[in-house]
Amino acid sequence: MSVARARVQPPPLRFELEGGALALFEPANSVPLVSIVVSLRSGSAVEPADKAGLARLAVRMLRRGCQGMTSEQIDFRIDALGAEMAVDTSPSTVAIHAQVIARNVDAFVDLLALMLATPTFPHQELERLKRETVAEIVESRDNDRSVAQKALQRTLFEGHPYGRNAGGTTEGVEAIGGDDVQAFYRRFVVQGNAVIGIAGDVTVERAPELARRIALALPRGERTLDTVPEPTSRPGRHLLLADKPERTQTQILVATLGTSAHDEDHVPLAVANAVFGGTFTSRLMREVRSKRGWSYGASARTLVDRRRQAWVMWTFPAAEDAAPCMKLTLDLMEAWVNDGVTAREVAFIARYLVRSHAFDVDTAAKRLHQALDVELLGLPEDYYTAWIDHVRAVTAKSASEAVRTRIHPENMLAVVVGTAAQVLDPLRGAIANLADASVVPFDVE
Amino acid sequence: MASSRDPSGGRRAWAAQTGGLTYGGAHPFGPETVHRWQLENGLTVLTLLDPSAPIASYHTWYKVGSRHEKPGKTGLAHLFEHLMFNETESLRAGTFDRKLEENGAESNAATWVDWTYYYESLPADRVKLAVKLEAERMARLVLREPQVASEKEVVANERRYRVDDDIEGAANELLYKAAFVTHPYGWPTIGWMEDIQGFTPEDCVAFYRTYYAPNNATVVVSGDLRERDLLVSIRDAYASIPAQSIPPEDIVPEPAQLDTRDLVVRKPTVTEKLLLAFKGPALGDADHATMTVLSEVLFGGRASRLYRALVVERELATDVRGWVSTFRDPGLFECVGTAREAHTTQALQAVMDEAFAVVRAEVVGEDELVRAKARLELGALQQLETIPGKAEQIGFYETVLGDPAHAFRRVESFRRVSTGDLRRVARRYLTEGGRTIVRVVPEGAPTAEAAQ
Repeated sequence: MSVARARVQPPPLRFELEGGALALFEPANSVPLVSIVVSLRSGSAVEPADKAGLARLAVRMLRRGCQGMTSEQIDFRIDALGAEMAVDTSPSTVAIHAQVIARNVDAFVDLLALMLATPTFPHQELERLKRETVAEIVESRDNDRSVAQKALQRTLFEGHPYGRNAGGTTEGVEAIGGDDVQAFYRRFVVQGNAVIGIAGDVTVERAPELARRIALALPRGERTLDTVPEPTSRPGRHLLLADKPERTQTQILVATLGTSAHDEDHVPLAVANAVFGGTFTSRLMREVRSKRGWSYGASARTLVDRRRQAWVMWTFPAAEDAAPCMKLTLDLMEAWVNDGVTAREVAFIARYLVRSHAFDVDTAAKRLHQALDVELLGLPEDYYTAWIDHVRAVTAKSASEAVRTRIHPENMLAVVVGTAAQVLDPLRGAIANLADASVVPFDVE
Repeated sequence: MASSRDPSGGRRAWAAQTGGLTYGGAHPFGPETVHRWQLENGLTVLTLLDPSAPIASYHTWYKVGSRHEKPGKTGLAHLFEHLMFNETESLRAGTFDRKLEENGAESNAATWVDWTYYYESLPADRVKLAVKLEAERMARLVLREPQVASEKEVVANERRYRVDDDIEGAANELLYKAAFVTHPYGWPTIGWMEDIQGFTPEDCVAFYRTYYAPNNATVVVSGDLRERDLLVSIRDAYASIPAQSIPPEDIVPEPAQLDTRDLVVRKPTVTEKLLLAFKGPALGDADHATMTVLSEVLFGGRASRLYRALVVERELATDVRGWVSTFRDPGLFECVGTAREAHTTQALQAVMDEAFAVVRAEVVGEDELVRAKARLELGALQQLETIPGKAEQIGFYETVLGDPAHAFRRVESFRRVSTGDLRRVARRYLTEGGRTIVRVVPEGAPTAEAAQ
């Protein structure tokens, strides 16, 4: 196995900035664009439990008014500079992601710094943003996959901060006041809690200066330590059906607790998962789609965060195929856990993972995001840089053991979005040793 | 050594010496260059050298899409795209994908009204695998009943996912069906469900023999290439595939729409959605870039006129967006709004109509024009950020317009647009008489008549 002509990619440049902020820079000049990320080491997990959506709302408020500029003027200025800006929230981080045409990067950094340094948090704008956010949450219920993912998250991690919806709930957003937003800003949107990323068409001489201007715009403040506890698994097999009328199809997610990036068997599990459901020729895809045509897609993923996250399997068969598809995928899962993976499968998938690594690092923005993940999620320092070596070291034995250790089919949650009258009873019959089945309306939060 | 005044960089002379290849010229592509080549069987090859990452992207664009289908056989181009990943004379079912994965490739395909394309992005030193596999399935695909039957089920499930259980997908399908009464743009590329379920292997074989030929395809390769070595491989792999006689298109142009078509569809949702469409210019029409700028003024981003009016100021909508279809023949200017709970499509439409009347009557501000152009330039650059992204842009514009560098010409066209141009296209296209409206309303909601 080899990656001929593979280039050794140096890690992004790191700059320690005043006040404890960290900056990462990844240069590239193939296209005149600059990506800028202002990320915080805190996300939805630090929100008060009754104010789900606060982290996202507080950071979105930064573009709703600053010294000398209204929300409308800020929006217009961002566009006129050939820039775009969005907020992304997860349990462990909330980040502003921006991209700008390279010739305007200075003017954009001036604007960004002004927004970070002098937000005015106008009451009228906060109320408007809350109404906008609630409307977006209501609208997202039209998307069955989104309904399934939210139901899975809140049920699998019930009572744990990872069970909160990072996008917020209608009740949580409505409960947020101006004081909450300002308190979040003062506590978390501060130098010591910030990791600033720049990638693209900026010289190595200018990048630190741009990062410093952004960092200095933030209030002084300390890094927030993560006190989120490890999630625990709920014993037994459970079915949650989100009942939605007139579905011709079902969205099926089957999940257990998965892996932590610090587990010794983390990479072996990732390799075993790729065999099971990570590619187009994986076991799941072959059995569900290629042989039976039951679902357009079939995949399995191991999610990564600071604490142990979920392992999730996804299919979306027609309503009449939901029960047989559920039974088949659970059988496949159990065979995967009980019998493991073969040496031939591991050799094949290792070739895929090693050779396709070129596409994990083919743009400056991707390389920057890997480095940001390491910082923000506390991943092992060599998580990405030594990925290829770690994959090559996996054997069929270590991969099979990792699956047996981490994946527990007897403690699993199945979430289905579908029409209960049509699919509930067949699904009950398809899941052996089911502890309980519950039905909720699809718009439950 | 090539003369510095030779834009081909010695390629013309090399092609003449090598045989079986003709050099067709250089197309400036921003700071880079696309080189055009042709094989004796009519296959066009476009190359772009980009050493920014050790990868290559191999795209094969066929000039066949749902516009080439017939009523009763809709969805055939798309079903066929799925079947192209199956068995060939020398590769058992599943081997095609396994070989690609084993070599670290990403691959996929897409079908739309005017085209179908396939791509493989690979580590640069593996690109010849894509040459071999694409040549193999262009000429030696095997189409048998079990694979066709299974793939019909997959496509039926894709349709359920994208259309039947997706409110916007279903509404969009209805919009095009109502707007086009004679042109094939009126049927969905994924096909009507009964047509999908009725296909036979014979339908697929006939389609393959008609359209999958070297003289109906363009290969685009971008990335860290050893260009001459690659071109010799392409020549050797494809040279034996004969050209076909591609049947002339049999399309009846869509007659001018003089009436307003207003449809209501009921769905299990709590919010109403408005899809309002005017007939728009073809992608190759000089008005297309101007209409795209106008769409950006009205719908593009939080500072656009209709986002501000509907989402920010009046709080009637959750989101709005506009799009001028990028089709070879005249398509639609789609205007979409999602109402907030308790607000109606009629309320959204009233605000949109007011905005349309203003751009017909008055010129927009210079600052709004600058804003719209900056956003469009950003969007154009974003599409060229990656090596596969460049190949896609080259293949798309070559297939639809015959100009592989049109992405850059389009940005130049945006720059030339004036406020007067915007008012002219508003008057030409935003006509109240000939448009199509689809209203999605919650099930159980009173009809508009009952509400009055």
